[in-house]
Amino acid sequence: MVLGGITGKILRVNLTDKKVTVEATPEEAIQSFMGARGLGAYYFNKEIAPKTDPFSSDNKLIFMTGPAAATLAPGNNKVAVTFKSPMSNTYSWSLCGGFFGPELKFSGYDGLIIEGKADSPVYLWISDNKVEIKPAGRLWGKLIPETDKLIKKELRDDETIKVACIGPAGEKLNRMACITTDCYREFGRGGPGAVMGSKNLKAIAIRGSQDISAAKPEELKKLALEVYGILKKHPKAQARRTFGTVEMVEGINKLGFWSTRNFTTGYFEEGNKLIGPEMKKEVVVGDASCYACPIACGKNTAVNSKKFGKVSIEGPEYETVGLLGANCGVSSWEAIIKATEICDHYGFDTISAGATVSFAMECFEKGILTKEDTGGIDLKFGNGEALVEILEKIARREGLGDLLAEGVKIASEKIGAPELAMHIKGMPLATYDPRGCKGMALTYATSPKGAHHMVSPTMGPEIAGDRFADSGKAPIVKETQTFMAIVDSMALCSSMRFALSLEKQVELYKAVTGLEFDNAELMRVGERILNLERLINVKEGLSRKDDCLPERFTKEPMPEGASKGQVVDFNIMLDEFYAVMGWNEDGVPLKKKLEELGL
Amino acid sequence: MSEKVLVCNSDKCVGCRICEQWCSMEHFKVVNPVKARIRVIRVHETAKDVPLACTQCDPAPCLKSCPIDAISRDEATGALLVDNDKCIGCQKCIKVCPNGAVSILKETKKALICDLCKGEPVCVKVCPEGAVQYIDVSTMDLPFKSKAAKEIALAGRDK
Repeated sequence: MVLGGITGKILRVNLTDKKVTVEATPEEAIQSFMGARGLGAYYFNKEIAPKTDPFSSDNKLIFMTGPAAATLAPGNNKVAVTFKSPMSNTYSWSLCGGFFGPELKFSGYDGLIIEGKADSPVYLWISDNKVEIKPAGRLWGKLIPETDKLIKKELRDDETIKVACIGPAGEKLNRMACITTDCYREFGRGGPGAVMGSKNLKAIAIRGSQDISAAKPEELKKLALEVYGILKKHPKAQARRTFGTVEMVEGINKLGFWSTRNFTTGYFEEGNKLIGPEMKKEVVVGDASCYACPIACGKNTAVNSKKFGKVSIEGPEYETVGLLGANCGVSSWEAIIKATEICDHYGFDTISAGATVSFAMECFEKGILTKEDTGGIDLKFGNGEALVEILEKIARREGLGDLLAEGVKIASEKIGAPELAMHIKGMPLATYDPRGCKGMALTYATSPKGAHHMVSPTMGPEIAGDRFADSGKAPIVKETQTFMAIVDSMALCSSMRFALSLEKQVELYKAVTGLEFDNAELMRVGERILNLERLINVKEGLSRKDDCLPERFTKEPMPEGASKGQVVDFNIMLDEFYAVMGWNEDGVPLKKKLEELGL
Repeated sequence: MSEKVLVCNSDKCVGCRICEQWCSMEHFKVVNPVKARIRVIRVHETAKDVPLACTQCDPAPCLKSCPIDAISRDEATGALLVDNDKCIGCQKCIKVCPNGAVSILKETKKALICDLCKGEPVCVKVCPEGAVQYIDVSTMDLPFKSKAAKEIALAGRDK
């Protein structure tokens, strides 16, 4: 059968021998793993062998959209890139919103697989059936906005072209490097930009003009109108419309689990300067949506600063304010926006960058790093100018910045202070301190790609219940992980989950693909994806010892704020989680579970 | 003839392109940006999203420039209609349009211009921001006048 929503074609580009091929989208895999993140796991499992060096030509960049991408499904704009991560050395994926994913679909492809390695800088130009590998020597070294501009200019001054590119960070194999689309929308985490840099691939430019059809267009129309209506009235969606994701700052700081000064505390005393209404008043100049999203949580900002000059960007969003702001003890919008600009224009992840700088700041305060090491920078918590200066060094790989560009795990081991590095499997934590919301400890620790909050953002149900309880969190985390695997594989923005319950997702999936599905079957798809991801990491040699938490969260009680005194009793939680997942005590899926899921 | 016109306001547009999706869907039963008669283009330098759509100019440069009279005006709505049997795909209408609102449909190689959905434009119905409106021509200017007045008033206050 031909499924609705999909185009039926995958584009494969080998940069070593410049071979471009088109192959059929495996429909059974779509039925089993849906798309985007799930389909990425399917291809990774088949094509990237355990122990593959992330920077070798054997690594691949597997871009996959979902069946709902570029249909009328609201917020259908996500696309996943799956790759072996140079940060975590594990299977990894990163999702990007904006317009790149839908444009890939409009060009006629459900996915794009990049393999091999070019011998000199190139970029890829995809316009429907026409696929060209073009020289990019003159683009090498250019910042993200300049690259975007030059490529569009070269391709007939067409502003409708969507460009995914890397900046100097990716070129210089900064392990935190992202792939950036539309100048400000990133495949942010895990270092996909460094993988792209290692392949000498500067950019992928796409423009498409193919039809995308859903199986049941009238049902999808009805559902889309209903979702627009729900979101217009939904308080959380409206808060995002007004303040962006920064709407969360106030609540999380009040609850005392906002990453502050390298997670030494969960309450930022200057946090009130960084809440949504302050941001709107001080720096926001406009709103920006991703494709087909009726919320428009993106915020354009501008500052005219004495210290940093004129800066205007899209963002920063919540995680960025948390990591570059509170976690570095910085409360100045000017400094945070300048810091975000450096990360965005050079192309590296603001979360990982913030975590790495805050680690260096703690080292500096403890005397482990000195002014001699920092090149004269007074790298104290709260020093916004120091934040900007050290990020510039990381961006250019100068001095201490060269080491910090390796990411917080490698840097902390070389500096000799691994206990101060807040990461799991090499990936820094997002801005929720797990001591104030215990399920997030499991989220971070059991995420296949290292500490990532969106694998199972359990804050909502946990705040509504007992957020400090350790025991009993496993079922909530399992349910959220399963649900997010579906959202990520359908390629919907996670903000759509405010309107799309499991029942609505089932309706949506049926209208898009034409497949018959019920709630239980959809959840089984989610669980199958989680188990396949787990199996990939087991083959890589990962086990219980890697599902760990930095000792700060298990040994140092939260010193102040509304989560004061809390530590995570982690081993109990992990035992419970493995049990509800049907995994053995070492975190390996049991045969019974795999058979049940058809793996 | 209708006294309503289609008005796009880039100050309100956030660039979601939901209008494009529904325009294409309404006329072609598929989603395809190049089949949408309304397009939204994000200009990164100024962080602005600009919706481009036909304003049914009168006299219309496209209608005047058409060498074989393939464009006519719908009596009821004022929409500019392309006669696909006559259109030769010469692109003159694209080049003279002051709004960048005309395209060529690849399957037919004929011009594609907004037909106002027979007087009920779907883009207006679905725009979450109210950035595309179908309103009385005599009052369409008033929000723009009000904005200009506010800017002048604020400039005065600063002095």
